[in-house]
Amino acid sequence: MRRLPVYILIDTSGSMKGEPIEAVKVCLSDMFSTLKNDPYSLETVWVSVITFNKEAQVLFPLTELDKIVVPKISVPDDGPTHIGRALELLCNQYDAEVRNTNVEQKGDWRPLLFILTDGKPSDILHYNNMVEEVKLRKFGNIFACAAGMKAKKEPLLQLTSNVLESASIDAGTFKQFFQYVSVTITEGGKSVQMTPDIDNPPEEIEIQLDF
Amino acid sequence: MSFTPNIPNASVNKEYSYLITFPPIYHGIVISGIDKDEIGLEIESITENSFKIFGTPIKSGTIEIKVKYIQEGLFSNKSKEEIFELIINPDPRDLWKDLPVPDDIEYKKENEFTKCVIPQKEGLKNVIAASKRGRSHAQEAKSRDDHFKITFNPDNEWYILAVADGAGSAEFSREGARIACETVWEFCNQKLSENQDFDNAIIAYKQAADSKDEAKELEARKVIGNQLYSLLVMAAYKAHVAINKEATQKERQAKAYSTTLLLSVVKKFDFGWFTSAFWIGDGAICLFDMNNKTAKLLGIPDEGEYSGQTRFVTMSEVFTDSTALFKRLRFNIVDDFTALFLMSDGVSDPMFETDFNLNNYDKWVEFYKNITENQENPVDLSHEKSEEAKQALLNWLNFWSPGNHDDRTIAILY
Repeated sequence: MRRLPVYILIDTSGSMKGEPIEAVKVCLSDMFSTLKNDPYSLETVWVSVITFNKEAQVLFPLTELDKIVVPKISVPDDGPTHIGRALELLCNQYDAEVRNTNVEQKGDWRPLLFILTDGKPSDILHYNNMVEEVKLRKFGNIFACAAGMKAKKEPLLQLTSNVLESASIDAGTFKQFFQYVSVTITEGGKSVQMTPDIDNPPEEIEIQLDF
Repeated sequence: MSFTPNIPNASVNKEYSYLITFPPIYHGIVISGIDKDEIGLEIESITENSFKIFGTPIKSGTIEIKVKYIQEGLFSNKSKEEIFELIINPDPRDLWKDLPVPDDIEYKKENEFTKCVIPQKEGLKNVIAASKRGRSHAQEAKSRDDHFKITFNPDNEWYILAVADGAGSAEFSREGARIACETVWEFCNQKLSENQDFDNAIIAYKQAADSKDEAKELEARKVIGNQLYSLLVMAAYKAHVAINKEATQKERQAKAYSTTLLLSVVKKFDFGWFTSAFWIGDGAICLFDMNNKTAKLLGIPDEGEYSGQTRFVTMSEVFTDSTALFKRLRFNIVDDFTALFLMSDGVSDPMFETDFNLNNYDKWVEFYKNITENQENPVDLSHEKSEEAKQALLNWLNFWSPGNHDDRTIAILY
């Protein structure tokens, strides 16, 4: 079976502590529940969540949608936002997890990547290098959300032109982002299934990126 | 430190069992929130501190399990309450909707179709075929795009088998597939009825092959090749033209009618079975023989690593290179065989996945057994059961394969 891998990178730096991260967790759970009610997604989507602050950490590896139990997400009191490190971990996970086509098995659909941050990369040099590494991988599409006044859009634009901006870090923002994520995934799942002969990423979905 | 059990998710219609064990400081545990009548799960106390949640869920959602207990303290006991979540996933089979196709669409087509052909003559094989709308189409009230046509002409004893798979992304591909099947059938049927030239060429070829004279065999092979070209390739070309004509009349691009085509003509001679095939696009045609342990693919599927995209009858570039067209032709003379299969990729993809597997005899044995010894919908491929077998084959097409819900069509000559 061809899987549609979905990687979600979530900022857990100090500024996300408390209400923001709780809101993210609720939105994640809601999103999984929405996706599970879509038959395309339920059968094909596998998700991994990577969190990052000073360190990057695999919250859970690529997992079938119906097996996901969202664990506790811990957030330190303060510290930098090492998005570069998160991308490095992402590339390692990609290399280990994403299946290529071989003689006996068709590989995965091109993975989707979503990044949510409320800051900017503190490890900018490493970040720049890792952006190039990410580009070497075959992501079908990449989407980023820069939430809050301190979030910087520019570094994310190096990675993808699909950057959503929002002035506030609150449940409303995350809800909209994750709704967007789930629409993208379900539409993606549909398009890969409707055109089974094309080994391409799910088509880019036209959604207005306004908040 | 609070106790957080990681309760694994349950799924509707799947048996579930999980043992939850609380820390020893929990006393007098009372659990509520699991209602067997409502969700299909129940809970049973195994010891004072461990409980088994088990059963087969009947409803999806997030269940809140309330746990009341007494925590012993140094001076006094505290009565506490915690809530744990248990997620019950839906069954994907319940999520797929079966929406009817609107009545007023152009080129309306049945959601499923099945047929059997039983020649009234000793020693001949029967044909059954079935085609079914895929779940991905049913989910969106879209039409079946696949098509097939199978016949046996008692006057000249030729079988004609055609299967076409309309491209999912092309709006009127269901009609493209229908035109393709009807056109190639009409053309082949007429050609084969016109005169004996083709039959004579086959007989001549057999004699040349038996003579062990390589030059002779090669010469006769060329004759067959040319005959087959003017039969099967021309039939496909006629289909190409007919689809273009329909598109032009409707002021549309032929692309909107994109379809693959699998075509085979077969006849039994005194010296054995002549089978031939021409194939554009994905799917599979296979001559399967359990006695000789062979599975010959009668063509090469148009996909693979390099093209990444299948080919369609509607593409004019398919018909510009006659050498390439020659390479798509296959023919065989065999004493006998178990079955000749033609199928759309809605069947071949979930069953074989890759070209490598399509070329693996063992996989075809598995496939054959999957049909004949299927647990849910076995198809009895004995000759006297063909009438029943066509319906059984249609039911067999319901097989469950996660992520594979395209239209499915299969024709079997056996």
